[in-house]
Amino acid sequence: MNIVLRELKAHRKSLIAWSVGMVFLILAGMTKYSGFANSGQSANDLFKGLPGLAAAFGIESVDLTQAIGFYSVLFLYILVMTAIHGSLLGAEIISKEEQEKTAEFLFSKPVTRTQVVTSKLFAALVNLLALNLVTLVASVIMVGAYNTGESVTPVILLLMVGLFFVQLIFLSIGIAAAGISKKPKLAAPVATGLLLAAFFLSLWLDITKKYPGLKYLTPFKYFEGRVIINHNSLDPLYVAISLGIVAVMLLAAYLRYNSRDLSV
Amino acid sequence: MMNMLIHELRQNQKATIIWTLSLVAGAALYLSIFPAFVTEADTLRKMLEGFPPTFRKAFGVTLESFATVAGFYSMILSYIMLAGSIQAMNLGTSIVSKEERGKTAEFLLTKPVRRSQILTAKLLAAFISLLVTNVVYLVAVPLIINAMAGAIIDIKTFLLLSFTLFFVQLFFLGLGFLVSAWASRIRSVLAVSLTTVFGFYIAGALDSIIGNTAIRYLTPFKYFDFAYIVKNSSYELQFVLIEVIVVILTIITSYYVYVKRDIRST
Amino acid sequence: MNVIETNKLTKSCGTARGIIDVDLVVEEGELYGFIGPNGAGKSTTIRTLLSLIYPTSGSAKIFGKDVVEFGAEIKEDIGYLPSEVFYYDNMKVKDLLNYSASFYKKDCTKRMRELVEIMDLDTHKRIDDLSYGNKKKVGIVQGLLHEPKLIILDEPTGGLDPLMQQKFFNLLKEENSKGVTILLSSHILGEVQRLCDRVAIIKEGRIVNVEKMSDLAKSNYSRFKLESRTPIEKSLFALDGVSGLKMENNSVTFMFKGDINSIIKIVASIDLLTLWVEEPDLEDIFLHYYE
Repeated sequence: MNIVLRELKAHRKSLIAWSVGMVFLILAGMTKYSGFANSGQSANDLFKGLPGLAAAFGIESVDLTQAIGFYSVLFLYILVMTAIHGSLLGAEIISKEEQEKTAEFLFSKPVTRTQVVTSKLFAALVNLLALNLVTLVASVIMVGAYNTGESVTPVILLLMVGLFFVQLIFLSIGIAAAGISKKPKLAAPVATGLLLAAFFLSLWLDITKKYPGLKYLTPFKYFEGRVIINHNSLDPLYVAISLGIVAVMLLAAYLRYNSRDLSV
Repeated sequence: MMNMLIHELRQNQKATIIWTLSLVAGAALYLSIFPAFVTEADTLRKMLEGFPPTFRKAFGVTLESFATVAGFYSMILSYIMLAGSIQAMNLGTSIVSKEERGKTAEFLLTKPVRRSQILTAKLLAAFISLLVTNVVYLVAVPLIINAMAGAIIDIKTFLLLSFTLFFVQLFFLGLGFLVSAWASRIRSVLAVSLTTVFGFYIAGALDSIIGNTAIRYLTPFKYFDFAYIVKNSSYELQFVLIEVIVVILTIITSYYVYVKRDIRST
Repeated sequence: MNVIETNKLTKSCGTARGIIDVDLVVEEGELYGFIGPNGAGKSTTIRTLLSLIYPTSGSAKIFGKDVVEFGAEIKEDIGYLPSEVFYYDNMKVKDLLNYSASFYKKDCTKRMRELVEIMDLDTHKRIDDLSYGNKKKVGIVQGLLHEPKLIILDEPTGGLDPLMQQKFFNLLKEENSKGVTILLSSHILGEVQRLCDRVAIIKEGRIVNVEKMSDLAKSNYSRFKLESRTPIEKSLFALDGVSGLKMENNSVTFMFKGDINSIIKIVASIDLLTLWVEEPDLEDIFLHYYE
């Protein structure tokens, strides 16, 4: 418990900064929508019957003139930002002990490595959840403010669940990178490198329909805003894949971190 | 000076190679789908013709250039630019701050060199790293376009478009350099560089959906309108000026700040 | 000539303690000690001398040149060994030494080889793989390879085994005999006592005293330690000039300053078992300044 508290305190400032940034992103994004809603009424009709072209730009069959439709575009960037947060948090929370030479301090205390990783994982989860809640509240308020149709709160809730899975995936990738690598400095670059690869792959998949199977490789395709909004549900297959990735990553991290030499 | 420059280049070597290969490989991956894209060109073109110009503008692609290799390359260049900007921002943000983070500042700053010389060596090293990336990119990508996309791009158009990668990288190098020279302790270079670059990118991306032009002055991702470049074979002067001014200002400020501030103790 | 000369040097470091009105004069060829407990301002002074940080007020000169204005020029002739050494990753010892040497205008290869020999260093190893003590040795070699005229050491001996410490001190003495000025900061009194000619004592950011080592030791303090066959009355030592009185069973220790005859008379009245009268060591003096 003392480790959890220590980590929560250590990440408090960073969490606040991320939360402020997230609120700003949603606020700025939806403010832009207000300008757009007034000018582009007719444009949306033209989107229909245009799957090929629209798909090329990742805005397939979503009513962009509706607040929630516009939000679905913003949601991709929310996913990216929280993914950056998650992967850096996961990589840093584990590797910092080795990097800042505090590993000797921590592991000379009567704690097992498993306890340490679990405590840190727990603290990281609290951080993810907090950022997710901030995103939820900001989204409900901002989208709600411009929404004219039925309530958007349920679908935003659903989006946030999807967001949380993506956060978890990248957190676990970060933790795995730090847990596995004997060079603590490599953890964050490797984790964010994978993130960028996944992001650019998802952009690539937006402009080609040739290799649909590759979408399983990038978490940014698991919970796309427009798909969730249109179907009003999360795809259970992707939920299962997400949980699978998280489980494998964490297991690898625990096993390797328990058995490897610490770099001190 | 020379010794520090060589030292820095060696330190950057690995990252530069990885980034260069990644950018070229990424470009190849994107270009490989051009043939599939072009087969749909005619139908897309016909569809687009029915739409008002404001709508087409929302896509950031003009009707004439859309399905041409230059138009397609313009589209993917914005992604490559995003990646390249992360490279540049990482480089800038870490190159000064790593001395204090790695606690080597006491080694370097007790040597008989002025701080301004240190900055110059580092800046030059970062500049050369980016230059290497861009030269490799400029040589490799036309060949890839030829081989993978099965098309030949007008070399002048290609160069004009691709130089913007270097320009935007310089913007982020300058910005990162300033952050690096200013802050005595940056815990995570990646957190700073990724959020900054994505922040600018998102600002530009959202505004191109709604067709706002004011943001063009704020985000380097929008300094260079690819459609304009393809059409006019030139840049828009006012944005080139903004870019140059921003880069010069960040660098001058970096020197000013770094020469005056205290170095963090170990 | 004064190698180091500071004039009311003051550095405020936010909430942390800085230094206040430090006047330090180190003459050419001196082995100068700089002593005080942790956090007294030793490192702040040294870091200001090296213009890693800049003075809030006052000034400092090395070789007669202002440290801020001529920082780079001055460092041509300074060798610095920080308390903790950290070096670039992925570098071999010889890479780092060569890199260090490349900053100086002269050819350092010969001296580098000698120092590597003396310090018994394997230059083909990667710095990351070295032990703490061996990293320290790298620090020593890289700091001395350009034959500096002024050597500044900040808590230098941590991590060195006694044998290596001896070698290192001999090296410093040898350098000193060639006319090199040395500023040694430490909280370990023994090493300052072994090495230095003069010592400045710093306390809470201020220099409280500067004395010659010989004078310090010769200050008219004497340290008394005696044991008696019978219990001693404490009131016996209620005398001006007695300080730090400690009594335990039949043994007594105290410091004395004043007319030696008066105390001898008192001691003579005791049925003594043993008696020691010693010059005070630096430790005693040090405690005296920190009372």
